[in-house]
Amino acid sequence: MENTYRRNVDFSTIMVRVIGYGCIGLFALCCLLPFVLILSSSFTSEKAIMESGFALWPKDFSTFAYEIVFRNPRLIIGSYVVTMGITIVGTAVGLFIVAMTGYALQRADFLYRNKISFYIYFTTLFSGGLVPFYLLITQYLDLKDNYLAVLLPGLLSPFLIIMMKAFTKSIPHEITESAKMDGAGDFTIFLKLILPMSTPALATIGLFIALGYWNEWYNAMLFLSPNMEYRPLQLFLYNVITSADFIRNSAAASNVAPQEIPLESMKMATAVVATGPVILFYPFVQRFFIQGITIGAVKG
Amino acid sequence: MLKMKKFFVLVMVMLLTFSLVACNGSSQTNSENKKPTTKVNENGEIDTSEFVNITMMALGDKPTNGQLEKVMEQVNAKLEEKVNAHLEIKWIEWADYMTKYNLTLASGEPVDLIITATDWLDAWGNAQKGAFMDITELLPTYAPKTWEEVSDESWEQTKYNGKIVMMPEDSFTQWVNHGFFYRTDWAKEFGINEPIKDFETLGKYFQGIVDNKPGVIPWDTPGTNVTTAWGYTTSYSDEIELPIATGVFPIYWGKSADDPYTVVSPVFEDLFVDYAKMMKDWADKGYWRSDVLNYKGDTRALFQAGKTGADQHHTETFSTLRPQMDVKQPGSEIDMFAWSDTRNNLISMSITHGATAVGAHSKNPERALMVYDLLRNDEEIYKLFNYGIEGVQYEIVDGKRVRPEGYDETKDSFASNFWGGRVDKFEVPSSDRWEGMPEIYEEYDKIKKPFPYGQFVFDSTPVEAEIAALSQVTAQMVPAIAFGKAGDPEKAVEDFRKRLEAAGYEKVQKEIQKQMDEYKKLVEG
Amino acid sequence: MKTVTVQSQTPVVKTKTKESRFKRIWKNRTLLLMCMPAIIFFAIFAYLPMPGLYLAFVNYDYSLGIFKSAFVGLENFRFLVMTGDLWKLTFNTIAYNLAFIILGNFLQIAVAIMLNELRNKWFKKISQTIMFLPHFISAVLVGLLAYNILSYDYGLLNSFLELVGLDPVQTYSNPAIWPYIIVITFLWQSTGYGSIVYFAAIMGLDKSILEAAEIDGANAFQRIRYIIIPWLKPTFIILLLFSLGGVLKGNFGLFYNLVGANNTMLYPTTDIIETYVFRTLMTNFNFSLGSAVSLYQSIFGFFIVITANWIVKKVSPENSLF
Repeated sequence: MENTYRRNVDFSTIMVRVIGYGCIGLFALCCLLPFVLILSSSFTSEKAIMESGFALWPKDFSTFAYEIVFRNPRLIIGSYVVTMGITIVGTAVGLFIVAMTGYALQRADFLYRNKISFYIYFTTLFSGGLVPFYLLITQYLDLKDNYLAVLLPGLLSPFLIIMMKAFTKSIPHEITESAKMDGAGDFTIFLKLILPMSTPALATIGLFIALGYWNEWYNAMLFLSPNMEYRPLQLFLYNVITSADFIRNSAAASNVAPQEIPLESMKMATAVVATGPVILFYPFVQRFFIQGITIGAVKG
Repeated sequence: MLKMKKFFVLVMVMLLTFSLVACNGSSQTNSENKKPTTKVNENGEIDTSEFVNITMMALGDKPTNGQLEKVMEQVNAKLEEKVNAHLEIKWIEWADYMTKYNLTLASGEPVDLIITATDWLDAWGNAQKGAFMDITELLPTYAPKTWEEVSDESWEQTKYNGKIVMMPEDSFTQWVNHGFFYRTDWAKEFGINEPIKDFETLGKYFQGIVDNKPGVIPWDTPGTNVTTAWGYTTSYSDEIELPIATGVFPIYWGKSADDPYTVVSPVFEDLFVDYAKMMKDWADKGYWRSDVLNYKGDTRALFQAGKTGADQHHTETFSTLRPQMDVKQPGSEIDMFAWSDTRNNLISMSITHGATAVGAHSKNPERALMVYDLLRNDEEIYKLFNYGIEGVQYEIVDGKRVRPEGYDETKDSFASNFWGGRVDKFEVPSSDRWEGMPEIYEEYDKIKKPFPYGQFVFDSTPVEAEIAALSQVTAQMVPAIAFGKAGDPEKAVEDFRKRLEAAGYEKVQKEIQKQMDEYKKLVEG
Repeated sequence: MKTVTVQSQTPVVKTKTKESRFKRIWKNRTLLLMCMPAIIFFAIFAYLPMPGLYLAFVNYDYSLGIFKSAFVGLENFRFLVMTGDLWKLTFNTIAYNLAFIILGNFLQIAVAIMLNELRNKWFKKISQTIMFLPHFISAVLVGLLAYNILSYDYGLLNSFLELVGLDPVQTYSNPAIWPYIIVITFLWQSTGYGSIVYFAAIMGLDKSILEAAEIDGANAFQRIRYIIIPWLKPTFIILLLFSLGGVLKGNFGLFYNLVGANNTMLYPTTDIIETYVFRTLMTNFNFSLGSAVSLYQSIFGFFIVITANWIVKKVSPENSLF
């Protein structure tokens, strides 16, 4: 993707690059350090943590925390599979619908675009609240203990639709027009012309949807009861922590035998397990962030 | 291209069918015909010919090692034999349990049995909101043993608006009165040779740690534990707690066990200023971290590791902590300074600290009661359901429950968290409990005074907003005062009082007193 | 592009509108159909539960359901005003959100622009991945990490300060610096993730324009200032308008875990509506009160957005949300 005009790269460009490398490098370091802290603490024995807190390098190496988290490999693998399944399906379907809607809404010749835009946007301002939502999912849609209860609500977000609308707006309308003159229908135009030209937008939105699903635990907590064998990863991990935490401190559970649980290092280990795979998401998607292939198609 | 179009059509069809299903779904769930499945026929016998699945809402995380299923198989076999029903536990996991518990009740889901409690699960609040079924008429027929066993007085305490809404765990000895745990070996080092019975001596103990144990924080607690406020009030006055929650600290107390119908507030007495002063003093002396308000550490774990000198909780916790400490910190011989030790200000536990209710939307309340009756009164089922399978989860040796050879915590542990119907007569003490407990219970039995508020249910509707505002004020002011981080103690208490008044303290006090006066008439006739 | 109007030229008034409306729908049918999944989705998941807002005005009785419960008017809103803190809370919430929005977007744009200028692919890939990781650390963990750094007795910060001979600081007792701490933490968490949007927007910019500018003698700074930044303006406005709708809503997790549940000393500068309400409802669990607060936040946000959108319409109409 390098441009081939390697003439004299002028001083200002170099300046900008130096500043860029410097600032970004520094910021990236700030983002990395806490992770190093978390990673190292996850491999530290509970005793060392209690005595000297978290450190950048394990004072007393131990994999006990991971042993507890992975104690039930069947369950954790199941969680991963479930989460990946929901993420992939949700992202595919959601991305398609978002893209389609976003494109339609930015078409200046679409009569209803403002009304529909407002219709969609309004939902971000007012929300029925937790109880009506819970009633909707459990009573009206009868989705309790059903993965759809996690998949469906997260499918579309007004924010992403409007973002897609903004991105596709930057694609010149001439393209649509000339295609129409060639007799193509709106949907075909969308499918064959717009989609291929919006790869950065699609990548971004797809990334956000995917990350949203990956991170999702609240709906899972509300609607997926322990009767389900495999539940999304974040919920699984959150439970691992809170149950240990709660048993320690609750009045009601006083007759539950407290186990030897390395709570602090476990919190770190679950954070690593939960976030780790995310590192792989972006590189996968990054190749779509390529610039300016829109033009040339029209100017030609 | 054709594929894409097909896909698109598919998505559309999916969504349309979906909305149709949704409409159907709603009409189904809304038309619930209550078909009585368990009736009494002319001979007075109960007809259990129809098989029924009874659900029970319990708090906790579902065990994942398969033991629960094995135990339930046996339990359900017996239940089926006797009343033709199976029991299924609906677990409300600890993560965000308040939200989930209340949502489940609010959503009208048809659960049969519900574990509840008047103190930490807002039983009265939920009763008021219509979450529980009236079982007054059903009890004698369908849960006769329980009905007989619980005294009439006790049944009075389970009534809301004259109707019985729950079955109390009333014959289960449990003392959840709070206090401090401390190490007697260290206390002796500091010259404290008698059991600690008041805050001043406790202060000496803490000072001893500061002076003699470098690197150990006397009471390394997170800032969420403001129980010392409750403790100080119980220790230095005869006031008793009213079952009216106002956030992290109850503002309204009863004057004393002899005069429980007069509503007072320790905050507006000198007592509270003394408390604030003492806590500030302790903070300055370094008895807890300077960043205590944000600290999230685990005091119990630290106590067991010998890194702190005190831990705070109740008698039941002490019963299991003591043997653990004897192993982890040999010679520590921990003891408990209960708030009641100072002036013998000890009230019996409310019998509804644990209870079971029947859900208002339950489809089989009769059978549910029969199942409960068995869980509570059938020894075999009781032992299975609470302890597990003999030989696997436990063995009985010398009248105590011990873990069998080869017991593995991960593979063999079992819990059903049935905190709504345990009874002393079937309880087999676990070897995990300290053997000195019977003596402690004896002591308590000698000094305890009866719980006077059993039938008192405070109707907060007229002052709902004020209570919310008051809760906000206590949450805001009490932690700072409890840990000496509120500046000058007298000013802080002054400020606290002013805010309470602004939040409606007077109005609520009058309302409580009014309802208390009526309650007095009800009780004393 | 101008829209082609389908208005019939016949003088009959009645059929005129009927005909045109149907014709209009027919003309736009594909686009309309393309919006259908979204329309149905929001109808079910957003509009169907919306009447449930009525919960804010009742004394909720589970056995009667939301709509049959006793109507109590504004009673559920009373507790908000009773302790007199409402204005302070609203002010704090809005101030923080504005700081988040403005500083946040500014940083995100800066990062996106800088990233765009860099050439080394590996550096870009790796740094971008690292930068959006903080978004995924749960709020609880962030609070824990912050405590580890800022705590007086054992925190990393004070250890470091002592090492270089300075006095340790009492971070958790000092309300004045917390706005900075909170804002910095927020920026740390959200910049990487948010910059992706701007980065993608820059990707949509026609490179030939930049090339042409360079040939014409524009240096890097000028290119950024006169081409890239104006290009990003629509994106910024949309993000801004969007965020304004939630201006009274807070990032509960962040505040609750950083400031802690009990550190009263910090409340004057760090308390927002949601943490306040959480404390209230901790023991007296009450759905109606929660719903009332939510409604207050929504109405407030609604008016702000309507106003902001109206302003944007006057200034640059293509960028308004609706």
